[in-house]
Amino acid sequence: MENSDVNVIYSVQHQLPLVMYIGQYFFFTGLSAGSFVISVIATLLGRREFKPIGKITAILAPILLIIAPLNLIADLEQPLRFWHLFVFYNWTSPITYGSFLLTAYPIMGIIYAIMVYTDRQKAAKILGIIGIPLAISVHGYTGFILALAKARALWNTAAMPTIFLVSAMVSGIGLVVIIAAARWKWFDKKATPEDRKKDKKLILQLAQFMAYIIMLDLFLIVSDILVLLTAHSDAYQAGMLILTGNFAPLFLGVEIFLGSIVPMVLVLGPTRYSLRAIVIASILVNIGVYAMRFVMVIGGQSIPLS
Amino acid sequence: MAKKRYAMLIDMRRCIGCHACTVACKAENAVPLEVNATWLKIIEKGIYPNTRRYFLPRMCNNCTDAICARNCPTQATYKRDDGIVVVDQHRCIGCKYCIASCPYDVRFINPLKNIVQKCYFCVHRVDSGLVPACVESCPTRAMIFGDKNDSKSEIAQMLATNATEVLKQEMETDPQVFYIAADETVMSNVEKKINYRAESSLIKLRL
Repeated sequence: MENSDVNVIYSVQHQLPLVMYIGQYFFFTGLSAGSFVISVIATLLGRREFKPIGKITAILAPILLIIAPLNLIADLEQPLRFWHLFVFYNWTSPITYGSFLLTAYPIMGIIYAIMVYTDRQKAAKILGIIGIPLAISVHGYTGFILALAKARALWNTAAMPTIFLVSAMVSGIGLVVIIAAARWKWFDKKATPEDRKKDKKLILQLAQFMAYIIMLDLFLIVSDILVLLTAHSDAYQAGMLILTGNFAPLFLGVEIFLGSIVPMVLVLGPTRYSLRAIVIASILVNIGVYAMRFVMVIGGQSIPLS
Repeated sequence: MAKKRYAMLIDMRRCIGCHACTVACKAENAVPLEVNATWLKIIEKGIYPNTRRYFLPRMCNNCTDAICARNCPTQATYKRDDGIVVVDQHRCIGCKYCIASCPYDVRFINPLKNIVQKCYFCVHRVDSGLVPACVESCPTRAMIFGDKNDSKSEIAQMLATNATEVLKQEMETDPQVFYIAADETVMSNVEKKINYRAESSLIKLRL
C-alpha cells in the first residue's frame, strides 16, 4: 500500500523491554556452553595433548555461567524477588526452564571441573556425557526465550535456538583459542619443544574447527533471512531492518563481515599457520557474536508494534 | 449459565477523538507520566482536500490466549475466570518478558513501582459492579463494556449484530477488545510501514 499520504499524529510506544543485559547474558551462556562442549570432547578423546585444553575449558564453563545470570538479576525491575522464579514457576514459560537449568548446570560444571582437575577420568567422562545435553539446553533455551516471544517477527522462528547454539559454539571455541594461545605463549615455557609443537598444532586444529562451525552459522543465518524476507509483512520488515535499516552496519558489517568472513579467511587462508592471525580471528569472532546478540535482542524489538 | 467473559466494544463511528478515555484511565489507575495503559492513536490520511483523521483507542486486549500469561515465569500475569488478564503486583519480578512477547505494546514498566502494569478493564470497578473508567468517561458512548456471554447484555447484542474487527488477528490470541468500523490503516502497523528504519528515539537504553 502507498503510505506517503499517511501521517501518525499521536501514538504511544513504550520503552524497549529487554536491554543489553539480556544480550550479554546470552553471550556469556553461549561462551560457557561452547567451552563446556570443547572440554567434554577433550576429555572423551582422552589423549594426553588434549588435557591442558580440557582443563582450561572445564574451569571456564562454570565461571562464565556464574557471571551470566548476574546479568539477568541486574535486569530485573525487582531484583530481590528473583526467588519467585523457583517458588511460583510456570511450566509454559521458557524462563522457568531456564531458572532450573541455570541452577543445575553450574553445579554440574563445578563437579565436572573437580573431576577433571583431580584426574578422575572415568567420573569426568560420565559427567561430561550427562553435561552435554545440559549445556545444550542451557544455551538452547535462550533461543526459545526469543522464539516464543511471538510478537517480534525477528525472533519468532524455529531456527532461533539452533542459531544461538551454533553461534555459542563459535564464540566458545574462539575464547578457548585465545586462552590456549596465551597459555602457549607465556605459561608453557617449561614444556619440551615437541610438546610445544603439539600444543600449537592443537590450537590450529581448534581454530579450523571454529571456521567450519562459522560456515554452518552463516548457512543458518542466510536461511533465516531468506525465509524472513518471504514471510508475512512484519517478518519482511524485520529482515529489511537488519539488511538495509539501522542495524545493517552492525549486522552486515560487524556480525557477517568482521565476525564471520574475515575470521574464516584468516583461519583457512594463507595465514592458517600463524598463531597471531588465529588469535585475531578468535577475537573478531567474539566481537561478531556479541554484535549478533545486540542485533537480535535490540533489533528484534525496534520495529514499532502499533 | 455460561461463564462470564468480559469484553469491550469500541464503535469508531461514534469516536470523536477527545482523549477522555486516556485521561480517565490515567486518573483512575494513577498511571505515571511517560506510560499509558489506554491511549488514542491518531493518524492523518489522504491528500488535500480529501483528508481525514482516524482514531483508535488502544488498550490491553485481555486476550483469551494471552501470550503474556503463558510466558510469565512467576504466574504474576494470569487470567481470571471472567477473562480479564491481571498482573499480581506483589509477585511480578519485572523480567519484562511479557512486554517483549505482547504483540500490542500495551504493557509497560511502572516507573514508580518498578513492576509491569497494563489495562485490566479497571478490575476493581468491574468487581463492584461498575464499568471501566474509560467507558464511563466516553462522551459519545462509543465504548461498550460487559459480559459477552450474557445474551441480554448490550455488548453481546452489539457483537451479534455488527461487523467487528480485532487488532492483529494473525497472532491468534483471540483479543477481547472489538472495534466497529475502525480504519484499516490506523489498525495496521502504520509506523512500521512508513519507515522500517527503527527510530533511534525508540531505543532508550536503560543502562
